[in-house]
Amino acid sequence: MAEKAILYDATRCTACRGCQVACKQWNENDEFIPEPPYTWDKTVNWGSYENPPDLSPTTWLKMEFREVEAGGKVRWLFTRRACMHCTDAGCVRVCPNGSLYHDESGFVAYNKDTCTGCGYCVDACPFGVPRSDRNLITGIAKMDKCTLCTSAGLNRLNEGYEPACVKTCPPDALVFGDRNQLLAEGKSRVQALKDKGYVNAYLYGEKELGGLHVMYVLDDHPEIYGLPANPQVPGTTVAWQSVLQPVGWAVGGLVIIGLGINYLVAREAKLARALPAKKKEE
Amino acid sequence: MAQEVERYRKPTRVLHWVHLCAFVVLFLTGLILFVPGLAALAEDSWTRVIHRVAAVVFIIAPLVYMSMNWQATWRGIKEAFIWGADDIAWLFAAPRYYMLCDEKAMPPQPHINAGQKLWWFIALVFGAVFVITGLIMWFFKELAPAALLQWMVFFHDVAFIVSGAMLFVHVYLSFHPLMRPLKSGPWNSMIGRGTVSVEYAKSHHGKWYDEVSKGKKEA
Repeated sequence: MAEKAILYDATRCTACRGCQVACKQWNENDEFIPEPPYTWDKTVNWGSYENPPDLSPTTWLKMEFREVEAGGKVRWLFTRRACMHCTDAGCVRVCPNGSLYHDESGFVAYNKDTCTGCGYCVDACPFGVPRSDRNLITGIAKMDKCTLCTSAGLNRLNEGYEPACVKTCPPDALVFGDRNQLLAEGKSRVQALKDKGYVNAYLYGEKELGGLHVMYVLDDHPEIYGLPANPQVPGTTVAWQSVLQPVGWAVGGLVIIGLGINYLVAREAKLARALPAKKKEE
Repeated sequence: MAQEVERYRKPTRVLHWVHLCAFVVLFLTGLILFVPGLAALAEDSWTRVIHRVAAVVFIIAPLVYMSMNWQATWRGIKEAFIWGADDIAWLFAAPRYYMLCDEKAMPPQPHINAGQKLWWFIALVFGAVFVITGLIMWFFKELAPAALLQWMVFFHDVAFIVSGAMLFVHVYLSFHPLMRPLKSGPWNSMIGRGTVSVEYAKSHHGKWYDEVSKGKKEA
């Protein structure tokens, strides 16, 4: 299957949040009522239309609103916040048992049944996307994030449908399709923005982390939209997965082999010493 | 009983076994993260629950011991951190001693030799690393920065590799050909009544035996 992707055009988005609703509705995610430690107040007006306050195990997609001052004008910017489905995905790297993996169309899928709840993906994601419903005392947990509508039993893509967020988007700010085609489409839209005078226009996700499977058409720098300019898989993730784990296996193996050799050698040596002593006794 | 010397008192023996049981449970439930094939055992987080129960024992047991035996605790901690000429002598003699079973190569050793000191040192230092990094991961997962939590995992696993490997060495050495007969040697000191035979004490911890026998005469 060809690599698929979503193209999000921030300049077309009206922040109706229809995608948020469609995401929850299709994936059967109940409303999220913030509780400690997310916040100590159940509902607070903090001066924004944004709601709910953050991504959560049951909120996989959230629209963010930003007020930015530029050239004496205030701009109201909208950003889509959900899994970016990276090619070089920190979560896939760090998942100890392969519960997180790339599916055939390039998306970061996961098997919730085999998730052990370790939560390493939560800390390894450069975008802070995966969320866990971890119990503070027992540690019982499962990770959740955007599945791109491929959850078992709720798989839209297998049935030939678009993801729910794309399907519902009224201004077509979200498009689903082959990544190569969307890459070309995104580049032409960015060029059009540049021609209009948006000199900083940028296609986010073309190269970031080996190429994202959710790409953003932006009319300004990514930081202005709250996106990391140069997202990286954290060094600690690489150190744990690619260095420490093999070292652990090597150390464990060498110690056991070494002890085995020592036993064989030392037993022989001990017997050799005991024999002459016995002969003397005789 | 004249032929035996007390080596480990009862509270020390109890702490040893309780702590070992907790450590083995923690080791096995943690090992799953290193063995993808075992991950099926960890589904639905139940090994995480067991890991936490064992962690509570791992933390509480030494604290209870310390509060009831603070003098022995202090002596023990000093033993792990003060190294001297005997330990250097042990280091040079160790290969010949443990590989070729040449008991004459080993100079008389105090209460615990450098190898035991090293293990004791690792148990103390990495035990503390386990507890500190573990508690941060347990209770500050939602609050601490992601980078800090990732370093906690890293150091928790460094401690796991070092102390896990050393546990194999520790268990193995209680079976080592030099430790025979096992019943009057190391096994009796920890499993049995906490005593070793005079013969064992003289050959394995000569300096310590001299101190103990001298002390007895004075008393």
